[in-house]
Amino acid sequence: MGGYLVRRLLYTIPTLVGVSVAVFLLVRLIPGDPARVIAGLLATNEDVDRLRVELGLNRPLYVQYALFMRDILSGNLGISALTRTPVLIEIGSRFPATLMLAITSTVLATGLGVVAGVSSAASYNSWFDYAVMTVALAGVSIPVFWLGIMLMLVFAVHLHWLPAGGYGGPDHLILPAITLAAFSLAIIARITRSSLLETLEADYVRTAQAKGLPHRLVIYQHALRNALIPVITVIGLQFGTLLGGAVLTETTFAWPGLGRLLVGAISSRDYPVIQGVVLIFAVLFVLVNLAVDVLYAYVDPRIRYG
Amino acid sequence: MLKRWVGLWVTLVLIGLVAAPPSNGQAQAVPRTLKFAVGIDVDTLDPAAQTTTTVQNMIDYVFETLVGLDYKQNKILPLLATSWQEASDGLSITFKLRGDAKFQDGTPVNAEAVKFTFDRLLDPKVTVPQRFIVDGIKEVQTVDPLTVRLALSKPVPLLLRNLTATVAAIISPTAFRKIGAANFTRDITDAGSGPYLFKEWARGTHLLLVRNPNYWGKKPIFEEVQFRVVPDAGVRETMILAGDVHVALLPPAPDVARIRSNPNLTLVEAPTDRTIFIVLNNQQGPFKDVRVRQAVNYAINKRAILASVLFDLGTVVDSPCPSSLFGYVPMQAGGWPFDTAKAKKLLAEAGFPNGFEATFITPTGRYIQDFQFAQAIASQLRNVGIRADVSTMEWPSYVAQITRPLASTKIEMAVLGWATPVLDCDGTLYGQFHSSQQPPGGLAPAFYKNAQVDQLLTDARTIANQDKRAALYKQAQTLIWNDAPWIFLWTQKWYVVTVKNLQGLAISPIEKWDAVYATWK
Repeated sequence: MGGYLVRRLLYTIPTLVGVSVAVFLLVRLIPGDPARVIAGLLATNEDVDRLRVELGLNRPLYVQYALFMRDILSGNLGISALTRTPVLIEIGSRFPATLMLAITSTVLATGLGVVAGVSSAASYNSWFDYAVMTVALAGVSIPVFWLGIMLMLVFAVHLHWLPAGGYGGPDHLILPAITLAAFSLAIIARITRSSLLETLEADYVRTAQAKGLPHRLVIYQHALRNALIPVITVIGLQFGTLLGGAVLTETTFAWPGLGRLLVGAISSRDYPVIQGVVLIFAVLFVLVNLAVDVLYAYVDPRIRYG
Repeated sequence: MLKRWVGLWVTLVLIGLVAAPPSNGQAQAVPRTLKFAVGIDVDTLDPAAQTTTTVQNMIDYVFETLVGLDYKQNKILPLLATSWQEASDGLSITFKLRGDAKFQDGTPVNAEAVKFTFDRLLDPKVTVPQRFIVDGIKEVQTVDPLTVRLALSKPVPLLLRNLTATVAAIISPTAFRKIGAANFTRDITDAGSGPYLFKEWARGTHLLLVRNPNYWGKKPIFEEVQFRVVPDAGVRETMILAGDVHVALLPPAPDVARIRSNPNLTLVEAPTDRTIFIVLNNQQGPFKDVRVRQAVNYAINKRAILASVLFDLGTVVDSPCPSSLFGYVPMQAGGWPFDTAKAKKLLAEAGFPNGFEATFITPTGRYIQDFQFAQAIASQLRNVGIRADVSTMEWPSYVAQITRPLASTKIEMAVLGWATPVLDCDGTLYGQFHSSQQPPGGLAPAFYKNAQVDQLLTDARTIANQDKRAALYKQAQTLIWNDAPWIFLWTQKWYVVTVKNLQGLAISPIEKWDAVYATWK
């Protein structure tokens, strides 16, 4: 198990290096001069040029990359071109919001999704099963921003039960979390259902049923644990994606998360922030995947020794 | 088992929805915190580094300038300076400061503070993207604690107007040194002299200001002002409908009609100096010929587009210079006439009886209904035989397109808007029609070149006599109007929606709101 862990950790390094190079090059390929974009249309060319020098954009590409790597390796993600604040502070001020939303949505989606998937599989082919799967289809198909706005209209504008957006206490978290959870919930429900249905076909389940065990015991005690293994992977992937910031939900609910920070940085060609945020995403995603792999290996002995 | 729970929950939710209490009425007491929903976050709190009007608007609550502007009459007003005297040779101006103004840290607003502010603005090592505000200032001299002289390298007719800009806000040297240059972009505690103190900036979330108890002037009625960052226009509107904010900036244009008729809301709208136009390539392609340019001006029915695509959020222009700027003279009552027959005739004369094809680019979401009106214009042009396919891209890429020099530009028709923070024709006419401002020298992508216009505009920049300047601008506008380097369209209105209880919010032609002394009913 230890060797497995170490190997997985070592694999992450080339991934992260590759991501950092790719992002560094790609942002500079997009048309648009950051100095002009940041300084605005009214600034004179002299002031734009001065800004360009200040941002280090006039140096050759390899020098910029060398400086970038030097900064990264000393734990410094650079300074935002737009706000002159260290990128780490920019990210740090948005991270709690993103984390809160990601965790809440994942817990919501997992809790309801697994329950829905299990009940659906348990009552296979009944009206309940079809109803749940239809709702899941809706959850996957409905655009996130539409759902968010509809929820806002109903619960904030008409009923005044919840605030219409913004960052604050638990009542500010409810609508964005539900909006974001809808998609994951649907996927988790479907995966749980199909995984459980597949597990229920297995020999050992047929044995348990032949033994005369009650239906409920067969499902919850024997089949479910094994059926949940692929679901763990899905949950991990969903959580990792959510940590990357859910731009549409954040924009709809004015939630100050990393997704909005990234999109804003792209719109203003703020290279250091774009590079910093994408790198952090990559690190987080890699870590979450690592955790899922470890958990997977722990839960399923076949992976560990196979 | 789960099925029963689901059924119960569904029933409960349905009962809840049906039996829900009706929407709350409006609170009547003056709110402690006046809440705004704005579309962008602060990028920097430092007045000198400002580039965006909305951010400047927010920090206008905290800082003050030497002089202010009465927008209705377009006149300079005393603010931190009570009087000023221009030297007869036009090479210096002396200001007398009011004696009772203090910075929020308690230090006096004196000549030393003014010198500190302007020295910083002139320092090439300090980032000042809008340094044109202090163009022409050579040196700042403190004559006595309440008298300061600005020595100029040349006469600057726009100086007083420039000094009303947020960039020229006077900052407390003591507070600045305490905060430190590196932190000044994100911390301006007690550095201004204005009616509100900086309390907190939570990135991406809000900017919070608190009333200044020691302000030298009139006290505003709201104890706190909060600017909440809400990037989506529809959500800003939703928030004000839900009662979460009192003012929402720029709700979606298509909803404006509904907002106008909503009894709980007020739509405050006013014309601005942001003129919207279609740039034509005056030196290459079919628009080289003045007759073609005039023809496309005749071909566009601006009123129809304003009514049906822009929801009346614009005013047709009748001059290259917007009406709120000093020096403006109307060229043609009602703007360029709509006359398809004349358009076709001119095109035929110019050698295009069957029209031609042209490229047409537009940004999306940068100007009110930009992509939409571009398509409307393209369809009107088709009526005179000009086939233009509209294509769009995001703003930074668009800027890259319009800043290409003549040799490499691909522009034939492009949507653009231009607004100047200084209410003088110089900003628009020089910036867009002087041949030195063609890319890469400036941002005038029409590549218009008229030596006479160049001379008129250069002279108007350097002579101090305002009457003479007005005469020069009249001549320049006439020449430019007839040369039709653009398709002249309209000036945009700037608009916000407020709750009915808020009264006295005004909008100035430079796209700023003023609600410091707004009242509550």
